[in-house]
Amino acid sequence: MMNFSSIQKLDNLLLVSVPRDLVDDEVIQLRRDVLNAIRQYKSQIILLDFSRVDICDSFFGRFIYGTSQMTRLMGAKVIISGLQDAVIETMVELGMTLPDVDAVLDLDDALALSRSLRSAAVPPLAAGQDDDE
Amino acid sequence: MSQPPERYPLHLWIVEENHPLVAAWQARMLARRLHFSLADQTALATAVLEVARNIVRYAGRGEVIIRPYDDGVEVVARDAGPGIASVELALTDGYSTGHSLGLGLPGAKRLMSTFEIETAPGAGTLITMRKFPRAR
Repeated sequence: MMNFSSIQKLDNLLLVSVPRDLVDDEVIQLRRDVLNAIRQYKSQIILLDFSRVDICDSFFGRFIYGTSQMTRLMGAKVIISGLQDAVIETMVELGMTLPDVDAVLDLDDALALSRSLRSAAVPPLAAGQDDDE
Repeated sequence: MSQPPERYPLHLWIVEENHPLVAAWQARMLARRLHFSLADQTALATAVLEVARNIVRYAGRGEVIIRPYDDGVEVVARDAGPGIASVELALTDGYSTGHSLGLGLPGAKRLMSTFEIETAPGAGTLITMRKFPRAR
């Protein structure tokens, strides 16, 4: 069910298509794949695309939050996009407002944001040594 | 729907990691059949996912029972796991003994129309919760 080629480089974005259903092991694997890809492509923005996701419980919330923290420690930034209306409603009711994580409406907005970041020419933080776990 | 209707109440074992997702999906299917709005379907499915993931995480195994109740859906989640020492604490936002954001139980309670929990240390946990469609 899980498709690991769902991580694609697009401009200086890393586009991660979050699978519809996630269980524990897959979350850990997906996160590792994302971190590896950040290092490989020196991506500054990690776009977690949720358009395939129709349910987002606190476990998903932990995935988003954790990924955003790890990504920040690599000098990059997580942005989420494509949340469905019903999912957003439920997340807020659940109390999962993820104040530290930025969101955009769709891929267009994500690309625009990524280009504006690039033109601002903020040098990415130097990635550390290649110490693959 | 092309599939024959399931017979309710639907008893689902919650043992494997992906079983909570199955339970959430089944709850959504029943809600859809009862013409819940997409938002109400999603709220119900999310609450079921929360309590069912708790079963796997804390009790290892348990059961979720889904059935129609008046014009809504009733979900019973039970396990013979360690139980909860302080329900009050477990229903507090941000409290977690596991690895979540601590929003699971209080969140599920908020997403449902009714939510009752019976538990004691060593005596397992029984959650009975119902969702009725909101007026549109």
